[in-house]
Amino acid sequence: MPYYNYPRQADKKGVKAIPIIKLEPGVSQAIRASLDDKGIQQPIRIDLNFSGCCDTLLCLHADTILEADLTLELDGLTFVINPDTYQLVGEVIISHVDEMGRKGFVLTSSKPVGEWDGFGVSDIKI
Amino acid sequence: MEQYKLFIDGEFVNAASGKTFETIDPGTEAPIATVAQAGKADAERAIAAARKAFDSGDWSGLSPVSRMAKIQDFADQIAQQGLRLAETESMESGRIISYAKYAPLLTIVLLRNLCLLAATKFPWEEEIPVSGNVFAPGREYIRREPVGVCVGIIPWNLPLEIAFWKIAPALIMGNTIVLKPASYTPLTALIAAEAAKAAGIPNGVINVIPGPGGELGKILCTHPDVDKIAFTGSTAVGREIMRLASDTVKKVTLELGGKAANIILDDADMELAVEGAVFGTFFHQGQLCESGTRVLISSKIHDEFLDKMKKRAESLRIGYQMDPTSHMGPLVSKTQLATVERYVKLGEEEGAELITGGKRVEVKGINGGYYYAPTIFANVNNKMRIAQEEIFGPVVCIIKYDSDEEAVAIANDSIYGLGGGVFSSNTARAERIARGVRTGTMWINNYHVFADFCPFGGYKQSGVGREFGLESLREYTQVKRIHVSSMADAKSNMSFQLMSDYKKVDGFSYNCPTNVVAGHGALASISKAVVDLGCRRALILTDSGVNKAGLAQLVKNGLADFCVGIYDNIASDPDLETVDAATAVARELKADCIVSVGGGSVIDTAKGVCVTLKNGGKANDHLNMLVLTEPQTPHIAIPTTAGTGSEVTNIAVLTSKGAGRKLFIVDTRIMPNVAILDPRFTMSLPKDLTVTTAMDAMTHAIEAMTSTMANQICDGMALHAIRLINENLPLVVADGKNEKARLNLQIAATMAGWAFTIAQVGLAHGMAHTIGTLHHVPHGVACGIVLPKVMRYNVDHATDKLAQVAQALGITTAGMTEHDAALAAADAVEALMKKVGHPMRLREVGVPEENLAICAFHAIADTAVLFNGRPVGDPNEVLQIYTQAY
Repeated sequence: MPYYNYPRQADKKGVKAIPIIKLEPGVSQAIRASLDDKGIQQPIRIDLNFSGCCDTLLCLHADTILEADLTLELDGLTFVINPDTYQLVGEVIISHVDEMGRKGFVLTSSKPVGEWDGFGVSDIKI
Repeated sequence: MEQYKLFIDGEFVNAASGKTFETIDPGTEAPIATVAQAGKADAERAIAAARKAFDSGDWSGLSPVSRMAKIQDFADQIAQQGLRLAETESMESGRIISYAKYAPLLTIVLLRNLCLLAATKFPWEEEIPVSGNVFAPGREYIRREPVGVCVGIIPWNLPLEIAFWKIAPALIMGNTIVLKPASYTPLTALIAAEAAKAAGIPNGVINVIPGPGGELGKILCTHPDVDKIAFTGSTAVGREIMRLASDTVKKVTLELGGKAANIILDDADMELAVEGAVFGTFFHQGQLCESGTRVLISSKIHDEFLDKMKKRAESLRIGYQMDPTSHMGPLVSKTQLATVERYVKLGEEEGAELITGGKRVEVKGINGGYYYAPTIFANVNNKMRIAQEEIFGPVVCIIKYDSDEEAVAIANDSIYGLGGGVFSSNTARAERIARGVRTGTMWINNYHVFADFCPFGGYKQSGVGREFGLESLREYTQVKRIHVSSMADAKSNMSFQLMSDYKKVDGFSYNCPTNVVAGHGALASISKAVVDLGCRRALILTDSGVNKAGLAQLVKNGLADFCVGIYDNIASDPDLETVDAATAVARELKADCIVSVGGGSVIDTAKGVCVTLKNGGKANDHLNMLVLTEPQTPHIAIPTTAGTGSEVTNIAVLTSKGAGRKLFIVDTRIMPNVAILDPRFTMSLPKDLTVTTAMDAMTHAIEAMTSTMANQICDGMALHAIRLINENLPLVVADGKNEKARLNLQIAATMAGWAFTIAQVGLAHGMAHTIGTLHHVPHGVACGIVLPKVMRYNVDHATDKLAQVAQALGITTAGMTEHDAALAAADAVEALMKKVGHPMRLREVGVPEENLAICAFHAIADTAVLFNGRPVGDPNEVLQIYTQAY
């Protein structure tokens, strides 16, 4: 069953409630494994990644929380996203694949950032 | 609003799903057209059409010249649509019209340039004159053939041109293509499809299917009927395409992202550098993969440059792309605008200093549009994300450096390597820097220059393969090598023999072009020989002994004005350094002809010199077999011994210190042009040398007959050589002044040389080479000692030939079995050796008994052993022979 985040009151001062991130089954374990592998325990930022020549994709990278960020704590993991980015992309769905040489996280969104939305797989950047 | 359909198999059709999407003018955010949205079914249909079109041969089977005619028609139809293409290109991509108006022209010129190149200069077939495999003679050539069905996936920044970066080489080289344009900018590709149809390009050769990459990408990159994928886009997507394509091992070319460094040196023309940096970054709103978005500026001129660049950037006019006065238009989409804004914010967060820009722009009279101001960040550290990640917008990072080396290091500190620039008033300095940067293109005092014959593509994660030029045409072909065997006979095929008990090679090719002039006073022919060879400057190579004997002077007298010098520093068993030293002298004297006067060592040295003089470099560069394709420096050989046969053979034996053994140059083209057999040159040869060199010749002749490569022509040469040696050697031993006998020995040596140069030698030579190398036993001596033992070893594998040898040695074989006659031949050789005083045992010549075993191991690896009549595989057998000879 996918996890959902429902709008809720902020638990901490300055931490705003985040609309929706959807994690497909197995994602939180995969994220934890990836962070353990890298020896880091940091919040995961969902961000725009421009890897060149015309295509914007979404990506995950380990980062610190900034003042204006929207945050979510989910299954022991902290997710952050810049409000402008969220405004642009909408709900983000994160899945994990591990098949035939294709291993990593696939990010799609309710407002796709480009026509290659969901095509690539990526790891958590540091 | 206009409606555009998919182009599949020569027809404009709706998507199978009926879906459509709108394209938007980024300058106004208004819709331009609706476009059919291809899905999986449409992709499959397009691939099937392309496959069928390719396999039919209607396009792939045309000659390049015939295809050129159709491509020219296609170019003409593009010209007909020129205005519509330019306006559509501008409107859908945001490209300013003053730039977009060139797009149709650039496309037409690209088509015409590449199709002419393919039809007139592309090496569709190439003969390989020298294959490099000496065991399988034949005609070798390669054909370059179309790959098949190609998929082109292109981005939105230069939609028309980049479409033809894929379409042009694919079609010109005989392939078919399924093109997926970017969903933001599909229209110009579909108009090009109209032009293709009007030009009569056969159905299915071009197919255009706009649709979402995420959905179409997988089917296009994994379909078994697709042979090649050409993608321009992001590194992340390119990486995935490569991964998907690997399942069916498709050819892939990728042109991906970049973060080019534009290096401004302290001696750059300031105005040029500023314009170059502005153009390099902000042209087309920075939406070009090769944009110079890191400007590296020398600390000596940093402040002045930054001030000027700021002013220049602020003077740029941002406006609607169809306005001919605009310098910059909009970004292509809202998402792209948001991406740029995100990176600008990131830059500020990372601590870079915002000098100008960093904000959206409102264009007067336009409601909406994705306009952004040219933005400059200073005090950027190359490790910042804004310096490492491609932003694809009008944002430049100014990075300071102190030295040229530091500039190159910063430029290379990137995962990308697509483009780059250097601005300097010192071309040599700029070129040194350009060579140091690891990137596919470097512009010096310019930027964004593309040219149809000049390759473009990336190093590192900027891609694989090249667009434009011959390189791009090659990317759309594959290479087939065709070998036509020269021997259509199983029993002549040395490779087949490896799985057969029949080890002889029946077929042969006899090519011995040396002009032999023999007889009393034959030296008199030498000046005519020089002239006939087209030469005027002959260098005599000899050894000190021959020179002291006055023989070199004889030749010098014969050459008269043609002689430019005598070089006599050649010892026996010459090494590569000997050849290099002699070659240096020849170069200094500008010799155009080499005259060797001496034994095998001198003649072999001369062969090495002729090759090195002709081809340059050092002797070590030319230790090859059958690779020469041209005549070498002319060589006249005058042997002073009667044994080596080197005056007519295709082999030069040279010692390599590095290899610790003798190595060879083997080639028909090193056979001397002329061999002069004048008995005067052997008259003073001492008795022992006369005897041992004659036994060398005897070994050549006998081994040529028992070799697996033996043949009738060489047998004839060998048998007469054996007769001549048997009859004349005792005469010369008895009377060294017997000129006729001396001449007969020379002729015998030459004939034996012809015999073995084609038929090869065998185990006796392998064993002789070894004890020659390890124990410095003269070659002829070593050959003679082991020869009879090897003949007995071979007796069951060369019975008939050895029986003929016996007859040539004067044995009456009537009444003998063939086997007995063969054994009698070995006895007769030993008898001759005793008669003329040749050493009979290895111990007599200083070979230690305890070293025989190691000699056997080395001998078995000698190349000559490959052709021995009896297969040799067991070093113990060779040890037995050494022991018998000991």
